[in-house]
Amino acid sequence: MSLGYVIRRLLGAIPLLLGISLILFTIIHLAPGGPLDMYLENPAVSKEALDQIARAYGLDQPVPVQYFLWLKSMLVGDWGYSIRTGRPVLTEIVLRLGPTLELGGLSLLISLALAIPLGIISASRRGSKLDTTVTLASFAGISIPVFWMALLLQLFFSVQLGWLPSAGYKSIGGGDFLDRLSHIVMPAAVLSLATIASWSRFIRSGMVDVLNQDYIRTAYAKGRSERAVVVLHALRNAMIPAVTVIAVDFGTVISGAVITETVFAWPGIGRLFMESMDGRDYPMLMGLMMMGSLGIILANIVADLAYAALDPRIRYG
Amino acid sequence: MTFKLTRRAALQGMLAGGVAMTAFRAFPAYAQAPGGTLTVGLTYEIDTMNVYSTGFLGDAQAAVVEGLLAPGSDAKYVPVLATEVPTLENGGIVVAEDGKTMKITYKLREGVKWHDGEPFTSADVKYTWEAVKDPAFIAESKDGTEEVESIETPDDLTVIVNYNTILPTFASTLFTFGILPKHVLEGTDLNTSTYNETPIGTGPFKVTEFVRGQYVVTERFDEYWDKAENGDQLPYLDSIIFKMIPDTNTLITQLRSGEVTMVVSTPYSQASQVEGIDGIEIVKGPLLSWQHLDFNFKNPTLADLEVRKAIAMGIDRNVLIRAQGGFPEAIKSPVVPVFEWYDAETPEIAYDVEGAKAALDAAGYVAGSDGIREKDGNRLSYQFMVQAGRADDELAQQVIIAQLKAIGIEATANNQTGVAYREARYNGGYDLIYGRWITSADPVYSVFWGTGGANNGQSYSNPKLDEAFAKFENSLDTAVRMEAAKEFQTILAEDLPSIPLTTNVALIAKTAKLKDFVPNPTNMTNFVHTAEWYMEG
Repeated sequence: MSLGYVIRRLLGAIPLLLGISLILFTIIHLAPGGPLDMYLENPAVSKEALDQIARAYGLDQPVPVQYFLWLKSMLVGDWGYSIRTGRPVLTEIVLRLGPTLELGGLSLLISLALAIPLGIISASRRGSKLDTTVTLASFAGISIPVFWMALLLQLFFSVQLGWLPSAGYKSIGGGDFLDRLSHIVMPAAVLSLATIASWSRFIRSGMVDVLNQDYIRTAYAKGRSERAVVVLHALRNAMIPAVTVIAVDFGTVISGAVITETVFAWPGIGRLFMESMDGRDYPMLMGLMMMGSLGIILANIVADLAYAALDPRIRYG
Repeated sequence: MTFKLTRRAALQGMLAGGVAMTAFRAFPAYAQAPGGTLTVGLTYEIDTMNVYSTGFLGDAQAAVVEGLLAPGSDAKYVPVLATEVPTLENGGIVVAEDGKTMKITYKLREGVKWHDGEPFTSADVKYTWEAVKDPAFIAESKDGTEEVESIETPDDLTVIVNYNTILPTFASTLFTFGILPKHVLEGTDLNTSTYNETPIGTGPFKVTEFVRGQYVVTERFDEYWDKAENGDQLPYLDSIIFKMIPDTNTLITQLRSGEVTMVVSTPYSQASQVEGIDGIEIVKGPLLSWQHLDFNFKNPTLADLEVRKAIAMGIDRNVLIRAQGGFPEAIKSPVVPVFEWYDAETPEIAYDVEGAKAALDAAGYVAGSDGIREKDGNRLSYQFMVQAGRADDELAQQVIIAQLKAIGIEATANNQTGVAYREARYNGGYDLIYGRWITSADPVYSVFWGTGGANNGQSYSNPKLDEAFAKFENSLDTAVRMEAAKEFQTILAEDLPSIPLTTNVALIAKTAKLKDFVPNPTNMTNFVHTAEWYMEG
């Protein structure tokens, strides 16, 4: 893996981001409504006042002009100001990034810790009761809507048992490790559920493919134990297809989990996105979506590099 | 749901009986005692604690920051930091001899302290005007700053505001929103000040913690100026916590688990769930907002009073109300019944399909082969606009379309959003439009139906109505205003530029232990009078 390759990929991301920004800008302006809608019910806000606010934020310009103005400031590192809070977009994002990384990071760790063993066991005991159970559970995990799962957990652990707080980042006046842990458990569990389910499926199918290869039979023939064959010979190759999915999921961590964060009142990026969407806060939305896109592009580059690391036959030059 | 409500109503009846019996005892069942924490769940994120720049109605702000006056539960102003509401009668308002300008004198309350212990004085009032007027300060509302010519502060407890015009709505502007502390803010940049998170106010509660996106903690201000009637130091509550929970399902779960004990805006659709939670009760509070159907007078058939009358007769408000969970209430005047200006004798047009058909027949509108009426080649077929994407409004629109069809009038949904909606609404890009308006506690109606009114996109003009509005809006004399209000409500009901349909209500869910809570209908929120709320037991 050469440094030159990485630099070329990063340079290639620039036109990609430009294209993405153009598409996103067009789409959010196509959506019904605008940032000034919240004033429409109140007659005390006259048309003149609305026009004035629109001018202040450049909303009176044609959309293409607005796009170029946005792009121009973005190129010099000015992310603009949120229409909803009046604070700089970047300040707002940085403030929300911490909780999002905590939640996303924890849920990815849980997912990795559970999905890999589940996938391996499921593949190596193909057709067994265990495999069937894991497969069924995975499909259930993928199918259950996040908000519903969240509601079930909240009703059980917060209302029935009273063990865990139903939402929030920390208690008022609290915030020590245990308090934070009690708040993050449910959202992290909900968020992990779908990832565990999908990752374990990918690892299982990768594993099933590899376990049928000749070199695995050779390894068995050499008299190696099953554990050694699976972990040392098979796993590495089986991971290649799964790496793409895992890497992209890592990339999406910084764009936050919109529904989970909203349901659990988690003060992260996803909830900020939801609220900005409600208020049609264009500068904020653009900032958030560009950051999310960047995350996914970077994750893809990392995934490609990981292929080469996992499989020496893959070379980039 | 109906069963549950009925059962609850029966229970409440029994409770009322019980209360009547306790009244015979020598001691009250519950004494007001200090203590207790109220945890309020808000569905929006508090953007700033500065009352002049927040984009929301300012729930948390109202418990912390006080103005000279505040609207009470009947939308009438009561004195807060001033000792009385200035009027012509008490000499607080003096109109210049030429009748073009006025001067308002506020006597300030003595012994009021800011949360940092400094005394509150007339200099703070003057500073508030200067700070909000400053063009560098980005504010959502600068209402009332331009009409003030100058402010005199002859002593610490007297403020004389010289207006460059007559402004009968002075009470719903500037000094009512809140007073800013001069000693803290002078010389700072209000746009970026820490005041926006931890404001210094004079209110019964002070902010002790502001965590963006999570919660705001307010605690009892021990040196608050007000005492209860029995001499108790106010406020009673130890603390009010405002938690920001964007998802309404989670909010209801938190009510269930006791993590929040008050929700001020329960969605109509979730009221029945909340009704079933032990220890939580729903208080139905009136609001100054109403739903209405308006006509564009550029359309020749809609300029015909007979057609407007038939449409008014053709609409069954009960169906509209049922479609919204049964909570809004039918109205006949745009002046909602909370106001003293409301005239109960406003003529009412009852729902009467046959009457509507007969009226249209008599006016010469005859049904064509498709069932749609027409006269002289003008079909009664209209473009009907609501703001696209607002589910409640789109539902109401469908109800109205069906009801119009029954009397031979065709309406086609043509919904817009954003700039397109705004342009259409202000410039009359519709035949029929359905929407909601809200007024302040000092309502002004000429903006809607006055000739050339800022929100009059209907091209409606009626000199007699303009005259009544002018009398209402330019007089400081209550008797004159009452008379004028009656007059314009009658004209509106007879000439029908707009059909007032229903008011909206606030559904406030709160712990039954919280006593002396009184909902506030105005856009100053329920938290303007928190000092006397107390927790039982």
